[in-house]
Amino acid sequence: MNSRERVLAMLAGEPVDQLVLMPITMMFAADVIGAQYRDYALDHRVLVEAQIAVAEKYHFDYVSCISDPAREAADCGANIQLFDNQPPGLDEQRALLADKTALAKLKIPDPLGGGRMTDRVQAAALFKTKAGQSKFIEGWIEGPCAQAADLRGINSLMTDFFDDPAFVRELFEFVLEMELKFARVQIEAGADIIGVGDAAASLVGPALYEEFVLPFEKRMVDGLHALGTRVRLHICGNTRRILKGMGSLGCEIVDLDLAPLDEARRQMGNQILLGNLNPVRILRDGTTADVTHAIAECHRQAGARFIVGAGCEVPRGTPENNLLALAAYARSHAP
Amino acid sequence: MQDLKQLYQAVLDGNAKLSKSVTEAAIAEGVDPQKLVTEFMIPAMDEAGRRYECGDFFVPELLIAARAMKASLEIIRPLLTAQGTQPVGRVVIGTVKGDLHDIGKNLVAAMLEGGGFEVNDLGVDVAPEKFAAAAREKNATIVALSALLTTTMPSMKATVEALKAAGVRNHVKIMIGGAPVTQKYADEIGADGYSESAASAVTLARRLMAA
Repeated sequence: MNSRERVLAMLAGEPVDQLVLMPITMMFAADVIGAQYRDYALDHRVLVEAQIAVAEKYHFDYVSCISDPAREAADCGANIQLFDNQPPGLDEQRALLADKTALAKLKIPDPLGGGRMTDRVQAAALFKTKAGQSKFIEGWIEGPCAQAADLRGINSLMTDFFDDPAFVRELFEFVLEMELKFARVQIEAGADIIGVGDAAASLVGPALYEEFVLPFEKRMVDGLHALGTRVRLHICGNTRRILKGMGSLGCEIVDLDLAPLDEARRQMGNQILLGNLNPVRILRDGTTADVTHAIAECHRQAGARFIVGAGCEVPRGTPENNLLALAAYARSHAP
Repeated sequence: MQDLKQLYQAVLDGNAKLSKSVTEAAIAEGVDPQKLVTEFMIPAMDEAGRRYECGDFFVPELLIAARAMKASLEIIRPLLTAQGTQPVGRVVIGTVKGDLHDIGKNLVAAMLEGGGFEVNDLGVDVAPEKFAAAAREKNATIVALSALLTTTMPSMKATVEALKAAGVRNHVKIMIGGAPVTQKYADEIGADGYSESAASAVTLARRLMAA
């Protein structure tokens, strides 16, 4: 059973020979091949080389197109600040929708128009050529709350929920349409699953999540399924109070960052859960024994429907042996 | 006579319009502005922080509470200055060099302001030298540094060094925070304290001021 077969079997509910291993790596992966992160984020060839290198070295079962949340916003015309060796950033002071009326004139970018979205599509295609037989390929889009925050500015979006709910819904509609178009071309290029990153969703409580975010996440997940793909939901931060909603979306995989796995298991039933080794305190700063102990505890709490990974991105500077210890756990345990 | 409990409730509810109007009416009636701050606004923000800590409030609720508090403070601050009232402490806060993330920093700034501190927010992507210059210029008692990225955490260390080089390190307490930041890291770089959340940052700042 190779990596790709293992993930496909796991997601199909069939037996697998060992635990699936799918930690998110970005800056860590760039470092593995000695690339500057600016190149990783801007050139799909660097990203693909780094992802395949890290997947081979640490026995990951997948490769991913994820790099930063600013690809769609950049193609929409947002001001992106580039750094030599860290992810591109968005400056809220110069947010594209600092003036809300700009939304009416905002056009959905063509994901094949040659911008940063196209570069991600090219990554999916190159993955298919280079690793399509052996590794599971993950495309990536932003969720409604995260992308809205990137376009509007996260501080403004948070108060918009109270000040102008109609605008929030209008913005989420724009995001939904844009992201599904972006997903479609990644799927056509070779992505086996689409990761949906909706980090900002963990900042709102259950009331706002259920009123605003959940309905659009649901439409996004349903839209992705209608495109014939699978979905991995990744919401960074503490999602404890919105677990039930997350579990109602019908995603193939739900990542957990700071929410307790045992609670997620109780609230989400048979959902496949991924995580949630603390990326900084355990994976980067702990010992190999800490890593092994902590991931075993995650496995115990999550049960058989479990994929090995950290709660969020494997941090730059994580000791090689710690990530190898994580891989060793996956390889030596069946679900 | 203005019902001042309305001010507490308006701040807690994030009703800026009401907090402003109650404040204006109270001032017009001759209520001591310091009383409005210490007996109604600070308790309201403390309660907002408490609710945030226990998961009843989330970022949007905290931000609108802070906005309501600021609406009142804009009226009150000039009056306090005229009275010669001193703040609990003077904070210089910012997100460190190379980092553009500001929501955590903004929450901490709002909570500190709500806790009676004078807050000078330098924004995002703030160079170490700028922190040092602002600390000196504002006669700061606390310098608060935020970072969301592991890649920008070294800027915290550089800022501590810049404060030393500028000769202001011994006059300020340094507190740090952000998702990848830990107490261990605070100890390593010689910061005086680490806070895991916006609400606990106020407790930490008060403790550091008392030390």
